[in-house]
This record gives sequence, C-alpha cells and structure tokens, in this order.
Amino acid sequence: MPLILHGLTPIHWAVAGAGIAFITLALLFVANRRLGISTGLEDVCSFVLPVPYFARDAVRSARRWRLPFIAGLVAGGFISAAAGGGFAPTWDLGMFDQVIGFGPAGKLAWMFAGGLFIGFGTRLAGGCTSGHGIFGISNFELPSLMSTLSFMAAGIATTQLVYRVIF
Amino acid sequence: MAALYFAFGAIFGFILSRSGAADYNFIQSMFLFTSFQLYGIIGTAVVVTAPGIWLIKRYGRTALGRPIAIELKPRHRGNVAGGVLFGIGWSMCGMCPGPIFVNIGEGKIYAIAALAGALAGAGLFGAVYTRVQGVFRLPRLIVGTGDG
Repeated sequence: MPLILHGLTPIHWAVAGAGIAFITLALLFVANRRLGISTGLEDVCSFVLPVPYFARDAVRSARRWRLPFIAGLVAGGFISAAAGGGFAPTWDLGMFDQVIGFGPAGKLAWMFAGGLFIGFGTRLAGGCTSGHGIFGISNFELPSLMSTLSFMAAGIATTQLVYRVIF
Repeated sequence: MAALYFAFGAIFGFILSRSGAADYNFIQSMFLFTSFQLYGIIGTAVVVTAPGIWLIKRYGRTALGRPIAIELKPRHRGNVAGGVLFGIGWSMCGMCPGPIFVNIGEGKIYAIAALAGALAGAGLFGAVYTRVQGVFRLPRLIVGTGDG
C-alpha cells in the first residue's frame, strides 16, 4: 500500500521503529528528556489560557525543549513532502474520500471533532502514543500500559464501526 | 540546545511521514487489521527502546554527566477513560498528536482543523480540571500530570 503523500512507498516498519527508538533514546541520553508530544498541546495553551492547570511548573519548564521539537516535526513533514515530489497543499484523505466522501467543509468539521477527542483524551490520560505507548511501555509503567490498551481498543472499535458498519 | 531539539523533531517527523505512521490509510488499516505496518513500527520501537532505557538507567548519567531523572506518569482513572477518548479521536483523524504536526508540514490542509480541535480539547480539559479531578482521582496540580 502506497502513502497518500505522492503515492510514495513506505520505509520498512523495522527501520521506522528503530529510528523512532533512536530519537527516543537520544532525547533521554543527551538531554534527560522523556519523549512526549501531547503535552506540547499544553505548552501552546499555556500562552493563552490563564488557568492553574497550564501554569504548572511541569508545563513551563518543558517549553524550552518541547516547542522546538514540535516545530521540528512540522519541518520533518515539510522536508519529506518537498524531497518526495514537491510541497503541494492538498485535501487528499485516501480511503476517507473513497468511502465517506465529505467535501472540504465536512472534512474540517470531522477533523475538528476528532481533534477535540485527541486533545481532551490525551490530557485526561496523561499521554499519547509517544509518551504512554512508546516511552511508558518501554519503561514498564503500568498506567502507560493501561492507557495504551484503552486507546488501541477504542481506535479499533471506532474504525470498525465507521468503515464496517456505518459507511 | 533548541537547535538540537528541532533537529531531533525533524528526523522524528520525517520518519513518521515516510513510514505510514502519519498516513490516514495506514492508521485505518491498522485498526481494520488489514496491514501489519503500524504494529511493526510500534512493536519495534518498544522492543528497541526498552533495553535502551534499561541500559541508560543502569549507566545512570546523561552524555553530559547529569544524573538521569525520569518523571513517572501518575496512575488514576483518567488513564483508561482518557485513553478511550483519545482512541476515538485517533481513529477519526487518522493522526495521533505527533502526526498532526507532521501532516501540517506535508501540506495536508485538514490537519490544521485537527490541530485546532486538539488545542481546544486540551484547553477545555485545563479549564475543567478542578471539576473532573474528583471523578477521575487526578493528582493535585502542583504534582502535574507529567509529560505526554
């Protein structure tokens, strides 16, 4: 199966997994940082929302590394597109277009709704695929295992419902 | 150090972009059990990271000689409830938080709406934290909920 991005062939899963592990371990060994991306959402919120939750030391002290890391993620995506066929803004959403077929406005509404679940859910869970799924499980943390099993199960149930029952 | 974090993020983002981890079709195929790719990626990442963390903790110091300090995530009822909510969102968007940023960089226009939703969702959680704290047995704010 090709990627949506320019129909490129994906790199092998073992290479990708090892690369992700390398960055995770480099962050810890070089910078004493625990990999975690969804907390970066708090960093952004902390600039505009004056509530105590976003004023925690844990948020403020981590802005210095997490914000540049997130900017790097955007740059990595841009470099990938530019080097793999050129940067060209697109609405292409693969099987969503073939099966569900919402136009741009419908896609924006769908994505915003999904984003609400991601933002609220990861903060309530205390982490996402990176902080719980990769770092937490690798460090044998029970809350991370519980959270990962929960979001994998809910993802499976939701996609099965959307693609095998509703549409 | 900011340049180093930026470089780590760029490499991480490039890998997510080119592996299928930031691809809507690959995420759905994982949840439909029609592709092994994402299970292979996450499984390999854990299998390599786990002994790596063990070795680094055993060594006890960073490359610069500082003591290794890993902040553990607190255990509470939100681990499962929040995980379920996040799983629904991951399926709907075909992106978890990292890939949202990667997709924006790739030029996927709809990913901006996913980011707006995620920021609104995180903001909403911050605003209602003290009200849902008892229900989910969340830690007191000075402790924080740790890294994500």
